[in-house]
Amino acid sequence: MASYVAFCDSKGKPLLSRRYKDDVSQPAVELFQHLLLEKEQESSITPPCFHHNGIHYMYVQYSDIYVLALTRSVSVNITTMFAFLHKLINVVEEYVKRVEEESIRDNYIIIYEILDEMMDKGIPQVTETKMLKQYITQKSFKLTRSAKKQKNVARPPTELTNSVSWRPEGIKYKKNEAFLDVIESINMLMTQQGQVLRSEILGTVRVRSRLSGMPDLKLGLNDKGIFTTNDSKDDSPEPVISEKKKNSNIELEDLKFHQCVRLSKFENEKIITFIPPDGEFDLMTYRLSTPIKPLIWCDVKVQVHAGSRIEIHCRAKAQIKKKSVANNVEILIPVPEDADTPSFKYSRGNMKWVPEKNAILWKFSSFQGGKEYSMAAHFGLPSVSDAEPPKLKRPVQIKFQIPYFTTSGIQVRYLKIEEPQLQYNSYPWVRYITQSGDDYTIRL
Amino acid sequence: MGVDKKIKKFLRDAIRVAPKISDKGEVFELRNGLVSPYPQTRKDAIRKIIQQMTSGKDVSSLFPDVLKNIATQDIEQKKLVYLYVANYAETHPELCILVVNTFVSDAADPNPLIRSMAIRTMSMIRVDKIMEYIETPLRKTLADDNPYVRRTAVLCVAKLFQLNPELCHELGVLNDLQSALSDENPMVVANALAALHEINELDPGCIDVKKLVSENVRRFLNVLNECTEWARITILESLSEHKSVDPMESREIVDRVVPHLQHVNPSVVLISVKCILMHLSNLNTVPESLYNKLSTALVSLMSTPVEIQYVALRNIRIILDAFPDLLKKELRIFYVKFNDPLYVKIEKLDILIRLLPADNMKQCQMLFNELKEYAKDFDHEFVTKAIQSISQLAIKVSNGGEDTHDKFLNTVMEEFISIIQDREEFRDISMICIGDLLRYDSDSNLIDNASRAQLVAIISSWQDIETVFTSDLGSCNYIWFITNYTSESLETKLQPLVEIFEDLGTLTQMALLMGAVKCHNSVSGSFLENILQLCTTDVHDLDIRDMAMMYWRCLSIENGDQVINQLFDRHEIPKLHSTLDHFSPEMLKSLLQELSTLSSVYFKPISQLQHRSNDVHIIKNKNLDELKGMATNEILKNQNDDVLLDMGNDSGTRSTGVLDELNDLFDITGDMGKVNISQNKNNNNNTSSSHATDLLDLM
Repeated sequence: MASYVAFCDSKGKPLLSRRYKDDVSQPAVELFQHLLLEKEQESSITPPCFHHNGIHYMYVQYSDIYVLALTRSVSVNITTMFAFLHKLINVVEEYVKRVEEESIRDNYIIIYEILDEMMDKGIPQVTETKMLKQYITQKSFKLTRSAKKQKNVARPPTELTNSVSWRPEGIKYKKNEAFLDVIESINMLMTQQGQVLRSEILGTVRVRSRLSGMPDLKLGLNDKGIFTTNDSKDDSPEPVISEKKKNSNIELEDLKFHQCVRLSKFENEKIITFIPPDGEFDLMTYRLSTPIKPLIWCDVKVQVHAGSRIEIHCRAKAQIKKKSVANNVEILIPVPEDADTPSFKYSRGNMKWVPEKNAILWKFSSFQGGKEYSMAAHFGLPSVSDAEPPKLKRPVQIKFQIPYFTTSGIQVRYLKIEEPQLQYNSYPWVRYITQSGDDYTIRL
Repeated sequence: MGVDKKIKKFLRDAIRVAPKISDKGEVFELRNGLVSPYPQTRKDAIRKIIQQMTSGKDVSSLFPDVLKNIATQDIEQKKLVYLYVANYAETHPELCILVVNTFVSDAADPNPLIRSMAIRTMSMIRVDKIMEYIETPLRKTLADDNPYVRRTAVLCVAKLFQLNPELCHELGVLNDLQSALSDENPMVVANALAALHEINELDPGCIDVKKLVSENVRRFLNVLNECTEWARITILESLSEHKSVDPMESREIVDRVVPHLQHVNPSVVLISVKCILMHLSNLNTVPESLYNKLSTALVSLMSTPVEIQYVALRNIRIILDAFPDLLKKELRIFYVKFNDPLYVKIEKLDILIRLLPADNMKQCQMLFNELKEYAKDFDHEFVTKAIQSISQLAIKVSNGGEDTHDKFLNTVMEEFISIIQDREEFRDISMICIGDLLRYDSDSNLIDNASRAQLVAIISSWQDIETVFTSDLGSCNYIWFITNYTSESLETKLQPLVEIFEDLGTLTQMALLMGAVKCHNSVSGSFLENILQLCTTDVHDLDIRDMAMMYWRCLSIENGDQVINQLFDRHEIPKLHSTLDHFSPEMLKSLLQELSTLSSVYFKPISQLQHRSNDVHIIKNKNLDELKGMATNEILKNQNDDVLLDMGNDSGTRSTGVLDELNDLFDITGDMGKVNISQNKNNNNNTSSSHATDLLDLM
């Protein structure tokens, strides 16, 4: 599939590359930066894949680098390539903390090793960090043939090729615990008048497992589709179709599971069972498109007096239960690029002008439910400006976190942990949090 | 005390004697380092060499000295040396013989990591000497008792095949590869399958992979749930290409694949969708719930990284052509987010218009409002696409046929009037869209006269026409509009374009010709003659020349006036029904089979992209068609000549015949009024190309 995988700097100049097939040569990798520039000049639409001279470039942009795969074949599975590149970034990130130009340069040896194990002949192989860490470690290993020191030798763990390829055997903890975080990200687009144009809830159930041995876990949720056993066999085991009587139950859409979840068991019996990888992972994700009302609402009024000043008034309100608190609330309101001399008046929080984003940022460390705060900002505008008044086309962006609360009402009913051999007591912990997604905006 | 001092001194010496390589790492320094008696120094030197190799410096001159370090007990160092050898072996083929021994012995190392590393590297080196020795290690590793080594070895067969197919046949390892399909370990099975596909792509006649897959379907289905995500993809790919023998088998495949629609890996999801779609037609009954599951799976791809979203959107575009009802209820998910990259936004707009149910006025109105918002964006290309979408939306809604829908077209026209007034930089696309809408409304009963009058007033007031439009299609539509809807001072409006006639695009040239001929009564004779002259002498395009010749003749005959008028009667212009393009059936079929591949993202089937010989064939076919068209033209023209000569005898009875023939001719050469119809004609291979090339293809 992929003939080359390369890390490039912010301009597209190769930092490190690994060849998997010899039908593409190094100069083609070096050509990437020129091609990229060319494409960008040609059009502002730059799809993540293009071809030149029979070589196809697929790239992903991440922090200040590009990660790209090259191939000659058009029958290559491009979704796999992109999924792999993202996975590669994740794995490297877990090894070197931050994936950026400098860390790639500093850790070239470990990255070569990772590339070696994650892909062979351009086909993705082992991509589970937990497993890779078993035999690619930052330290170097000495090979010894003596039986005594056998443990220290880097060997591919036998579980690597087992059906449970994500968990090594023999993990031991003194205290066996499993932490469950239910995180819901809200994406919402509103008009200035408060009409919700669209909204969705993206949920993630994140598990941090600190459990010994090979535990088998069973998760119970209050989802309609899950656990309402439906006797009709083939036609409607679909969560969407199941009866709508029970109000306490909710409907989750497009559920996605980590590879440890037994999919066929879920398909047939609607039970979520799994042997978890060690440490943190996303067990499942879901989406809900039920209409919701804004949790944090801002009434923003902008008055532009062309050639002299601009006035912005904003009232922010937390439309959540009185006992709930929204943390780290950030309201980012765009202002024209040529605005200057800011002055602010506000009843609470902290405000500043962020010229590099052409916006003002209003921050609260905590925002009590039901409370309402207001502010006024005033900017000067240059008296001479271009013929066309610059339009405020960017939306108001809002960020927040509300702990102990889920918008969808999803609840974990139980988490059963069973380890057939060790039979230990274990403690499941559950936390809920609702936060803004990457698109919680008010259109101006 | 004395002993203590001695130990300290010894340690100091020990540190001092293992010299470090300076950061600069000059070649001589590295060479000395490589042969240093101290292991730490040697390793340090190798690291520095790899670092320089990474940064693009040529360090191949150190090859012999690096080789000396390959026989080491240190895994990290071994890996680095292997990496170096793999990179530079081809520059020193004669020295490779020195490492062959290490390769062979490493392939028998007790550590599986080393075994697989050795065989992996060995099979990558395109040096004959090495390949001579590959037999034993390859055989050994193929039969290794560690699956980690076996899964590496099966891929090595494919690598070796790429380097030297004859050797592969000679060693008979292809048979080992085929029997690896029944290996007990799923990862080995998946890699063997991947290797077989690669070999098949290199030499289609070599192994009958299809047969192998069909023999192993049940096995594949069984191992599917035990594989890693990547191995699943390989197996699912094969299952999707498998032509099942009976509906029962298809049913079983679909049942086993459906759970994978909920896998977290987007590639597993998309390939599962493809696999199910491929087997769908074999099923006796398709439950509605299956379609729902496919829809949700596709929707879920919209919450993945943007690059994958892009792939998904391009694929959804293909799937929708074959299964138009699939995502009907999921319109909202495709609304544009402000922080989407532009390439995703553009694809989303396309999908939105296609998905929109034309009979749901509320949704249509909502989308219209949304599109108006998009049209206020700052990015030129996005706004252009948004404006185009508005006109596509209007036509789609009006096709809904109800009264309330009729008014919609008027609302849209008003929007366009405000766009062309407020946003000068988008006149090109607006003009094209207005042209589309007017041609859609060729019976003139949906758009009210007030809007029409307003349009005429605005557009005819534009000055410096030669600079207003940047695209061929834009100016072509402008001329069409001017010559169809206004009659005053045509000459002054068109003159600036005539002056730069040779620099104009083909469509604009043709539009000028037809416009001038159509309005031959309202323009001066010299103006008309000038255009005819330009078209017959200065133009290289045969169609334009032919048309110009024909018109010239028509105008010069006795009742030419009448002939021309009848030719340009507006009711004769076919109505434009849709501006959404679709794939041709054959094209759609191959694209569906290639979902999730690079070719599906380019909208170009593999057959078109890969086999050059086929390309030539296609071009030849095109030529044939073109020749055919030209021949027909010629015959018709000759006939006309005959008829024109005969005219004197019985003009009364024959003239209608002439007209019919001319009308026929018109259909062949392409009426400029129909410019955009080319878009919805299915015989275009490349739907993503611009209007202009489409039109050229058509002609």
